[in-house]
Amino acid sequence: MEEYHSGDEVSFNPDEASNVVKECIEGIIGGVDYSQNKVNQWTASIVEHSLTQLVKQGKPFKYIVNCAVMQKSGAGLHTANSCYWDTTTDGSCTVRWENRTMYCVVSVFAVAIAL
Amino acid sequence: MDDDQSAEETAFVVEEVSGIVKESLEGVIGRSSYEHKRVSQWTSSVVEQCLAQLSKLGKPFKYIVTCIIMQKNGAGLQSASSCFWDTTTDGSCTVRWENKHLYCIVSVFGLAI
Repeated sequence: MEEYHSGDEVSFNPDEASNVVKECIEGIIGGVDYSQNKVNQWTASIVEHSLTQLVKQGKPFKYIVNCAVMQKSGAGLHTANSCYWDTTTDGSCTVRWENRTMYCVVSVFAVAIAL
Repeated sequence: MDDDQSAEETAFVVEEVSGIVKESLEGVIGRSSYEHKRVSQWTSSVVEQCLAQLSKLGKPFKYIVTCIIMQKNGAGLQSASSCFWDTTTDGSCTVRWENKHLYCIVSVFGLAI
């Protein structure tokens, strides 16, 4: 019998989230070159799409999805993040993707909802 | 009157957080130019300092702080975030900062416990 018991601790699965995000990125900017006109639509689509897929998993989490797209032009880019949360239940995953003309970095943060 | 006070103490106040982030950026990076070797220390210091100041506020929140530093060299950078949370209690604040040599974007997300 598969019943969801509220006493069970559900923890974040970063590999699953990572796969969901990779598919979203490929679907939206898979074979295209960096375009200043379209980049804001792309970042918005990537975060919305990823969020929708994650929420569909039906797990008791709040999510934050962050996406940065940068043109490849030799500039240096550094990102860092720090989190103050419950390390037993909450988690994050970061996906780095690139093609010929741009880099894309997507971070997913999942914070457990107290039931 | 007591209700208003306690509501303020448990809400995500954007100006307060924004102030904390700006102080942290000025303190860690200030007017330095982009140096490949030091940038990773800067991003770590900025997020750690912000987090330490935020937790000192003593509010019932979990926090996520992210920091992006980019050299000024003509490249385009676009960043977006989407959040699935409780819109009545949770909030975020993004600070865009720059000096002569680099851009910095810091985002703070606060989720009520």
